[in-house]
Amino acid sequence: MKRNIFLIAVGIALAFWPMGGYQEGIIILMCINCIAAMGVSILTGFTGIFTLGHAAYMALGAYTTAILTVRYEIHYIPAIIAGGLIAVLVAWLIGVPTLKLTGDYYAIASIGLGEAIRLIIENWQSFTRGSRGFPGIDPYTTRFLAVFIFIMLAIFTFNMLESNLGRELKASRDDIIAASLLGFNTPRTRMKALIISAFYCGIAGSLLGGYMSFIQPSMFDMMKSTELTAIVVFGGLGSMSGTILGSAAITLIMEYFRDISQYRMLIYGLLLVIIMVFRPEGLMGSREIWDLFKLKIRRRVKNNA
Amino acid sequence: MAFTFTTLIQQIINGLSLGSVYALIAVGYSLVYSILLFSNFAHGGFLVVGGYACYYLLTQWGYGVSISMLGALLASGLVAVVTERLAYKPIRERTPITLYLLIASMGVNIVIENLFVVTVGGRLHALPRSTFPTGTFNLFGGVTISASDVLSLITAIIFLSALQLFLSRTRWGLAIRAAACDIKTAGLMGVNVTFLISLVFFVAGVLAAVGGIFLSVRYSLYPQLGNITTKAFVAAVIGGLGSLPGAVVGSLILGLAEMLTAGFISSQMRDLVVYSLLVIMLLISPSGFFGKKISEKI
Amino acid sequence: MLELSHVYMKFGGVMALDDVSFKIQDKSLTGIIGPNGAGKTTIFNIISGVYSPTSGRVYYQERDITPLKAYQINRLGIARTFQNLRLFQRSSVLENVMTAAQNRYINSYSETFWGDIKPATVREPRSKYTFWEAISHLGRWKNSEQKLRSTCLDLLKRVGLADRAEQAAGTLPYGMQRRLEIARALALSPELLLLDEPAAGMNPEEVFELNDLITGIHKYFDLTILVIEHHMDLIMKICPHVICIDFGAKIAEGTGSEIQNNPKVLAAYLGTEDEEEF
Repeated sequence: MKRNIFLIAVGIALAFWPMGGYQEGIIILMCINCIAAMGVSILTGFTGIFTLGHAAYMALGAYTTAILTVRYEIHYIPAIIAGGLIAVLVAWLIGVPTLKLTGDYYAIASIGLGEAIRLIIENWQSFTRGSRGFPGIDPYTTRFLAVFIFIMLAIFTFNMLESNLGRELKASRDDIIAASLLGFNTPRTRMKALIISAFYCGIAGSLLGGYMSFIQPSMFDMMKSTELTAIVVFGGLGSMSGTILGSAAITLIMEYFRDISQYRMLIYGLLLVIIMVFRPEGLMGSREIWDLFKLKIRRRVKNNA
Repeated sequence: MAFTFTTLIQQIINGLSLGSVYALIAVGYSLVYSILLFSNFAHGGFLVVGGYACYYLLTQWGYGVSISMLGALLASGLVAVVTERLAYKPIRERTPITLYLLIASMGVNIVIENLFVVTVGGRLHALPRSTFPTGTFNLFGGVTISASDVLSLITAIIFLSALQLFLSRTRWGLAIRAAACDIKTAGLMGVNVTFLISLVFFVAGVLAAVGGIFLSVRYSLYPQLGNITTKAFVAAVIGGLGSLPGAVVGSLILGLAEMLTAGFISSQMRDLVVYSLLVIMLLISPSGFFGKKISEKI
Repeated sequence: MLELSHVYMKFGGVMALDDVSFKIQDKSLTGIIGPNGAGKTTIFNIISGVYSPTSGRVYYQERDITPLKAYQINRLGIARTFQNLRLFQRSSVLENVMTAAQNRYINSYSETFWGDIKPATVREPRSKYTFWEAISHLGRWKNSEQKLRSTCLDLLKRVGLADRAEQAAGTLPYGMQRRLEIARALALSPELLLLDEPAAGMNPEEVFELNDLITGIHKYFDLTILVIEHHMDLIMKICPHVICIDFGAKIAEGTGSEIQNNPKVLAAYLGTEDEEEF
């Protein structure tokens, strides 16, 4: 409860604090990245399924919303929801045969699936305008909208993790055989995680389209997918607050180096290697940020006693 | 595009030629996978290093073709060894989770690619025309074979046979095969595992450089050339990760599939076919044609 | 209650189980003994649905459960522990038990997509709320979670782990991890409990406590228990009925003293005279 009030307060501050257009852009981008990273975190950090193809779900969301708003002139709110739902639908279709793959094999398959979705979008020229990209999207992603959706989804995510569904996901992450012998239908557990994460990524993609006004298949390639998984690992597998902090930090770092853009990717690559070498457990390990406070309080209580 | 016998033969030849280049790269992937059980995405980086080393040795320093190539192979092999020592060794000593290695390898790949973007720029470089014979032979019915097709096929055969001989006839080859079965036991039996892993990376780097030189002849040289190794990776998975004959077979299948798609459907569908093949193969048999199956004890 | 009928299990060319048949009476406490590698755990894996047998049938409460999947068998009321512990190491002790306790599907294995249990088939649902209540924390979420938490704490008290409830399961001492596994299995309110080598790696004192725990559970929860052990003493002390397995085949069945005096059992444990020459 306290956490949700805190999140809402952060949301109000992010949405209404007066700032310039440039800072607003950064806030919007941060929210979008956080939404996508939360989705991947549910799948990778909490269910233990590694993916290297989730940018494809962002692409599906972005293209669905763009086509619905530009071509069919549908209002952007139903279009954004449709973006998330199309991603869910495709994830479900893909998940039925592929989620039986475990370990590295799902990760490898997800590379293939992600690239295949991107290539289909690229080759379906009559509908998506192909590799030249899809211009002229109404800039519907305002700071308020991005922050609102981000905070709402963050609250849902944290709540979900503290429910029976959250325990179910973690059980199948920690020991899938034990989970199935505790009565969990583990293939369906994995499917739930995939579907939720695809929804988040779809929404993130829809918002990205509305922010950039222009989308292109190459924005959603394997690099982007890797970035999403890398952010989740950077934040700490199994820590949702770590995912959000990590995602915000990476967005800011990349923004900081925007002026020396050719060094940006170099720094990003180095960062990946350095994190893996020196802190593979990520920023937070598998704890949430408030666990740290609890620990401190408990220690203080112990010292006093 | 009409189906003609000539196109079929032509595309099969092109496919074998492309497949042989893939095979050089895929074998490197599989070799590293067989020892450390992770997919080394920095392989593309090693390949680019080889390509640029060859380019600069030839054009800037004016060495002959054979010395330049030898230099390129060495450079690439050394970069692979250094990468392993600096980036992978600390990780694998700390944790058995191979995902961290995988992400680090992607990081290394980005670093190498962008080092070249920053230093030499993103524009295309072409190896001098005199590097390789460029003639073409005409076969029956308008089928042509270029000299570089033949050359890449022959080189691939030579290098892969040499690798096979090295693995089957030498002490270190035996040690590598033993480590591929069980690296911990191999270590306990007195194999110097650190040196062995470096050796494996050196060999993988050398093979990547050979592939890199052929790719830069075929498509010209640019920092993102390494991305093409994703396809060699797909080939290694189709053949069965960790299996060297599998990597070769997978590469030839993939080369043929790509060229036949380009010849009879459309060249835009090439990549789609590649990734669909990957997913289909994983669904039918995750360990590919030749990979070993792993099951867990309960 | 449980019946194995002519069960064979082949791994590659190895016959792990060779025509095993036995019956377990309702509310009984039965032990399975046998030397290492005799195929005891394989029997559990087949009953609990981890493997399906090469041939033969398994019946539970007169019902053929051979084709069912592990989670479906579990939902019929069969819970088990593992020889090499399979706790959720990073989660807290309480969370481990809650994860199991939220799943009380007695005699039913259907659910809606989001895990909402079909109400008519559940005796006493402890954690019944929808996906939407879970993500919004509205409605029945708070009540259900509180009830679940207190039931689980009660259970932890029974096995003597209440003061460790918030600790990460992986950091518990070994003996306690074994107790936690039992508590987790009990949280499912099973009617048949399978214990796979519960005394493995314990010192004599801990084994003594474990004896009390198992007999106590048997009486208090009024359920059927099947225990695997390769130490004869534990089984002989607590189990009125014992089955002995060797090389994948049942070689003897009966009361403790019958088994102890059976020449085949002695041969399996001590080796026959022919074997001793080697």
